[in-house]
Amino acid sequence: MAFSKNSGAGHRGLQESMYSVISLVFILVACVELCDAAAALNVYRLIQYDMSGSAFGSRFAALNHHAASLHFPSGADLSRTVLIIPLSELNITFVREYINQKKPLGGLLFLLPEVFNSGNGGNKQVHEKEKLKNLLAELERLLIHANLPYPVYFAFENDEIDTVLADIKKNDAIGQPATATTGGYKLVIPTPEPKKVASPTITNIQGWLSGLKADGDTNQLPTIAIVASYDTFGAAPALSVGSDSNGSGIVALLEIARLFSLLYSNPKTRGKYNLLFGLTSGGPYNYNGTQKWLRSFDQRLRESIDYAICLNSIGGSWDNELWIHVSKPPENAYIKQIFEGFSNVAEELDIKVGLKHKKINISNPRVAWEHEQFSRLRVTAATLSEIPVAPELLESTGGLFDSRQFVNETVITRGVKLVAESLARHIYGHQGKNVQIFADGGSLAVNPAYVQSWLDLLSRTPRVAPFLSKNDPFVMSLKKELADHTDEVNLQHETLEGMFTFYDSTSAILNIYQVASVTFDLLLLLALGSYLIVLFCFLVITTRGLDDLISLFRRPPSRKVKTA
Amino acid sequence: MTMFHFFNCAILTFGPHAVYYSATPLSEYDTLGTSVKAAVVYLGTALVKLVCLATFLQVSENDGFDPYQELLKALIGFIDVAGLYFALTQLTHRNISQNHKFQAVGLGWAFADSVLHRLAPLWVGARGLEFTWDYILQGLEANANLVLSISLAALASLIWLRKNKPKTLIPIIYACAGIVATMPSITSYLRRGLGWYFPKVVGFELFTSLVMAFISWQLFSACQRPSA
Repeated sequence: MAFSKNSGAGHRGLQESMYSVISLVFILVACVELCDAAAALNVYRLIQYDMSGSAFGSRFAALNHHAASLHFPSGADLSRTVLIIPLSELNITFVREYINQKKPLGGLLFLLPEVFNSGNGGNKQVHEKEKLKNLLAELERLLIHANLPYPVYFAFENDEIDTVLADIKKNDAIGQPATATTGGYKLVIPTPEPKKVASPTITNIQGWLSGLKADGDTNQLPTIAIVASYDTFGAAPALSVGSDSNGSGIVALLEIARLFSLLYSNPKTRGKYNLLFGLTSGGPYNYNGTQKWLRSFDQRLRESIDYAICLNSIGGSWDNELWIHVSKPPENAYIKQIFEGFSNVAEELDIKVGLKHKKINISNPRVAWEHEQFSRLRVTAATLSEIPVAPELLESTGGLFDSRQFVNETVITRGVKLVAESLARHIYGHQGKNVQIFADGGSLAVNPAYVQSWLDLLSRTPRVAPFLSKNDPFVMSLKKELADHTDEVNLQHETLEGMFTFYDSTSAILNIYQVASVTFDLLLLLALGSYLIVLFCFLVITTRGLDDLISLFRRPPSRKVKTA
Repeated sequence: MTMFHFFNCAILTFGPHAVYYSATPLSEYDTLGTSVKAAVVYLGTALVKLVCLATFLQVSENDGFDPYQELLKALIGFIDVAGLYFALTQLTHRNISQNHKFQAVGLGWAFADSVLHRLAPLWVGARGLEFTWDYILQGLEANANLVLSISLAALASLIWLRKNKPKTLIPIIYACAGIVATMPSITSYLRRGLGWYFPKVVGFELFTSLVMAFISWQLFSACQRPSA
């Protein structure tokens, strides 16, 4: 009795281990799902955000549909198809119509020419660069302000995707759009549902360069602030490098910091002004970061600021004309002083500088320029920019079209010289005199290599604030660079609250599979079935004889037949 | 849809074996045990071949045709023949006629070959979304292999099991057996040396398998007649 029980338990144990082994084998085998796609490429998703409760951008990330090109037969149902649109063939009215009429679509994939790929340093000469740039800017504006209930992705053109697209166009021209029954190409992006970015942080970096305090002088030295916002916002956050807006501003600020740190390192040449360098975040969102940064100031420090210069987009080809935007009326004595100082230097450098005045409306939450945040706290400030008119919300914030190709480092170098000379003349009291402090060829000359290397780095780093963590390596490198040039560096971490909410999942890998249709498989099954049946009949006939084959189909003779 | 494709290719690869077993008198005489034993012998032969290949063969960087290496591979391929000899002669079979013995052994041999060589690629590859013709061609190759295995088993049984053969036919039997045994080397030469594409190679295999089956069938029936 005990023996049988033991053996029974032993059998059960053996059985269980067998089952576990078998299940393990099945799991292992099921996991081996090799990806042998026709093509795989990096794609970048359209931004998804909520502004004051309204949803904008592409609301989905996962993709699993057939591909079609723009030559699809009219009237075809595209609710389960992805349209692949290269930028060169883009018809903006078509896309606008599609979006405005809320027509159902499986997804959109935009192919951008390599020239917009800052990461590769695309130096290829493309004709009609300007036209493409304007087209892309318009497309971006359309997409950012639309609510799209399907995934929208951007990718760069390469040979693989070009051949796939040519094939798709050929199929579409025949009049056979890809569906489940006719084969074609399938685009698959297996990402999970995008989630909200919880409490996005914005980090302000400030550097303090102390001026020369005379012995026995108890008064606070006046301060001059130089500010630039370093984050961007664009249609594809993984591609928003903002080379001009505001990469040029950051580079200029760093170079000015370097030059003045050289001057201030020697007590004999240290000026009687403190210099405050600010790299602020939250720029596209009504300069939220600048506001928080200013609010954190001590009242005395705020009062000691003589004036602030904000740098915004000084790197494009501005055709020798820069604008100084102010909110205080031009008749104001301080504004006049600043403008005269800049104009004098500009004349020598063969640059035109104009003054633009825009009144601020306290009740309107929209802050178009960074200096407006200073002005709201009664600090004299101005913004130096190549942009003539105040940009709208989420405009000129470093989008897809703002890539390395369209920024010029010589232009930035000239801008740096302009600002540095003007500041130095004010600090050292040489207004109106023709003195070249940062002359070319001297030890204090603007370093074009420094400008270029930082510009290249910035053009490779997407800087959308919600996706930059507190200890992001880029923020740390900016802090370190500023620490090299200033006496004291501080970081201020704040949360980006207010009207914006962002969602993650900004880039993915797209797999393109060439699939066969279901009808093909059904036909194959039919062919195989008939082949096996023929084989069976053939073998039965040759080995057992025809009678046996026929007997297989005849019913067994009834047993009830009784022989008489 | 992709499991569908896998199912299609699976029945193309393994269906004919089942059909062959059920259609011919093999099923009536319950020769399953013989087939299973032959499959096990094939497994053992494959292991021995693997060890020999690993020991003696060098891995070449380019995918070209190296005559010396191919010769070595052909020699190791003769271990196959030795395995078949073992399966035919040394295993104890129940009382089944020689006619059915070679068919059962050939069937088991071919089935084991298909499972070992073609099941894993099929499971891993045919289930994916991407469509290629490879797995259908592989199935056709399995069919050709079945025919070749049965012909080889027939010729081998003629060589070793039948004692009274017409004298004139003996060299032909040996020649055909040699051709069928070296078929793997021939196909690899075609693929690497001449650079034929897979569909062409499969077509060639199907053609030669039918030809060899016909020849071995004629030889077998010629040997059935009592020698004058």
